[in-house]
Order: sequence, then structure tokens, then C-alpha cells
Amino acid sequence: MHLTHELELFPGHKVTQMLFTEVKNAAELRQCAVEGKINGALINPTMLVNPFQVLVAANKAVNSQNNGKMKTRSLYSEIIFNLSPTNNISEAFKRFGCSDGDDSVLVVFIHNEDESQLLADLTARVSGRQVPVEEVSSLTDHAKVKKLYKVTQEEEKSGTLLDAVVCRMAAKDVM
Amino acid sequence: MALEKCMAAIPEFLSKAELLKQGAEARVYRARFLGRPTIVKERFRKQYRHPLLDEKLTHRRTVQEVRSVLRCRRAGISVPVVYFVDYSSHSIFLEEIVGSSTVRDHIASSPPSARCEGLEPLAERVGQVLARMHDEDVIHGDLTTSNMLLRCGPEDGVSELFLIDFGLSYISALPEDKGVDLYVLEKAFLSTHPHTEALFQRLLKSYAAASKKSSAVIKKLEEVRLRGRKRSMVG
Repeated sequence: MHLTHELELFPGHKVTQMLFTEVKNAAELRQCAVEGKINGALINPTMLVNPFQVLVAANKAVNSQNNGKMKTRSLYSEIIFNLSPTNNISEAFKRFGCSDGDDSVLVVFIHNEDESQLLADLTARVSGRQVPVEEVSSLTDHAKVKKLYKVTQEEEKSGTLLDAVVCRMAAKDVM
Repeated sequence: MALEKCMAAIPEFLSKAELLKQGAEARVYRARFLGRPTIVKERFRKQYRHPLLDEKLTHRRTVQEVRSVLRCRRAGISVPVVYFVDYSSHSIFLEEIVGSSTVRDHIASSPPSARCEGLEPLAERVGQVLARMHDEDVIHGDLTTSNMLLRCGPEDGVSELFLIDFGLSYISALPEDKGVDLYVLEKAFLSTHPHTEALFQRLLKSYAAASKKSSAVIKKLEEVRLRGRKRSMVG
């Protein structure tokens, strides 16, 4: 169901993603996140193409934290910021963070030990149905993603949407 | 939750990765990153340079490489996907194009007798891709047949042509720069693959047909050819 990947660059740092649909308490979750009660980032899954996209954002966030070069205040807000193709932090939150009316949410958290307790805590908090993280590609709003990331027509012909998105995320600081 | 700071995270990771080659500018490794086969290009420090200058130069080269790759991608040219860039170690983590061979090996392994005819379609495609790249004002800077990869498609055998190694690339609209880019390829091509003049001519024809700005570029190419070593500059 959930997906855990240990970052190759940062051994001991595991990134776990969980996906929920039919979420009824998005507003409450968002509030908890803002207050720091949830140890994770809440992402709007319609803006995601693939779990790999989240891994790329998480890896970059951990790296920035390591170098003391984060642009936002916390590791989790940094992950959300990294997903965005622009450097405007509040816009990133608006588009990629979970909003009050959302009916699906992807939660990602970074930890170093066994995640079962964390998984249980989160499942208890979310009022919704957990589904395999891979299903995020069925929730993708392709049109919105293409528009936001400004994916060109030629690009779509020669590569996948995920390729286009990941490339822009990686190159954001210099474009 | 405390995250132990480790300033040497990337160097540490690379010390365990497979070193593919070391050039004057950078080391190229192969590794697994975020679960995918990845190539890491690390531009290392040059001790003989003044540290501030070295930092600026290395940073600039890394930035130019990333920009050129993204620019090519936007134009629909097949280039590896950039997964991650670390500006403190000047490392670029890119997609490894698995199951590919260089165009160089491809040409070298084809029978000499049938060489020119059988490889014409390839030459045409290369010409088209380079035209597309130059129309985007991307100058590769190191065009050789070793920097072009062919990956075989599934059943129908339609292969995809990739451009790699944008380490010396930059953005320029000048026909002069594009002409020089082609000249570099011509020299590399003809010296690596003897007796393939006709093939290269095919490439240039395809380039001229595919690019809107080609006439100025070809003209410059002819001028540059006259400039080379052991050439008379009588114009």
C-alpha cells in the first residue's frame, strides 16, 4: 500500500508515501499540518504524476537541509516547494499543498526507523480510504500539470510527462 | 527528529559508485539513485586554480549544462532527464540511457563495404536532430559520434537518437557558433570514421533541409573550414 524508499545519498533517511482517497477531513488535516501536529507533508495528488516525483522533491529537500540552504522553514514545506516549477513559496503551497475541499491526499514523511507506528498514527488521523501509492497516476489532472509546468507539445512527443516534470524540478534553481 | 548532518553525503555516495571515466573537467559515475539507473557527472575542484575563480567557473559550467539539457528537452530533442543537481559538489544526476550504444560504435561495427548506404538514414536523422538543436540556439560544443546514443526500440526496431554530454554547451544564435559546432563534428567524424565523407555530406544535407536558418550556418562552416590549421588564408 504505502511506499518506502531509503535515500541512496542519505542512508538511514527513509521516505514513506501514503495515498488516501474519499477524504472527508481535509480541512482538519491541513490545520493540523499548519500547527505542526502532523509529522509529514500533505500533498494534493492531482498535481502528481508518479511517486518518483515526490522522491525527487524529498531528496532535494533533505540535501538542502543538509547544506543549510533550505528556502522554506521546514523539511516538509521544502518538499512541497520543490514540487513547484516556480520560486514563489505561497504559490507552491496553494497549488501542491492540500486544500480544505480536497477529497484525496498524499502524505509523505521522512524517518529513520521502522515506520509502522507512524503509518498507524497517520491512518488514524485521516478520514478516508487508503489506496496503493501507485494509483496516484490515476488521480493526475494531466491538463493542469501540463499547463503549470509549461510542457511543450514537442516534449510530450519525445518523452513522458514525468520526464518533463522531473527535469523542471531539478533545474528550477537555474532557469 | 534529528537528522545527522553529513557534509560529505555526495562524495561519500560517489566513493562507492562505479567510476565510468575521468576527464579533464569531471568524473562520470554510474549508480542507482531513487531506484533508477543513473549517471552522475561530478565536476571536481582544480587545485591549480584560484579557489574563488574555480568555484565560479565550475558553477557556471554546471549551470550551462543543465540549462542546455532542459532547453533541448523543451524542443523535443531526446536528452537524458536531469534528476538532481547539487551545487555544492557540482554534481549532476542524470538518467542513464540503458540498452544504448554510441553512434560511433554503430558506425564502426557496420561492414565497411555497405557502410555509406546502410547508414544513410542514421546520418539523415543526426542532421535533423542537430538542426532542431541549433534552431533552439543551443550550441553543443563537443559534437562527436561518442556523444550520440542510439537506443533500440521494442519490436519494430525504430531506435531513438539521444544527445549527451552538454558540458561545453552554451546558448547562442550566431551562425558562426553553429558553424563551428558542425565543424567540430566534421573533424571528429572524419577522423574517427575514415572514408565516410559521403555520409557526412548526407548529414549536412539533412541539416540544411531541416533547419530554417541553415544557409547562414553552412556558409560559416565553409568559412571555418578555410581557417583551420595548414590552410591558406588567401580569400
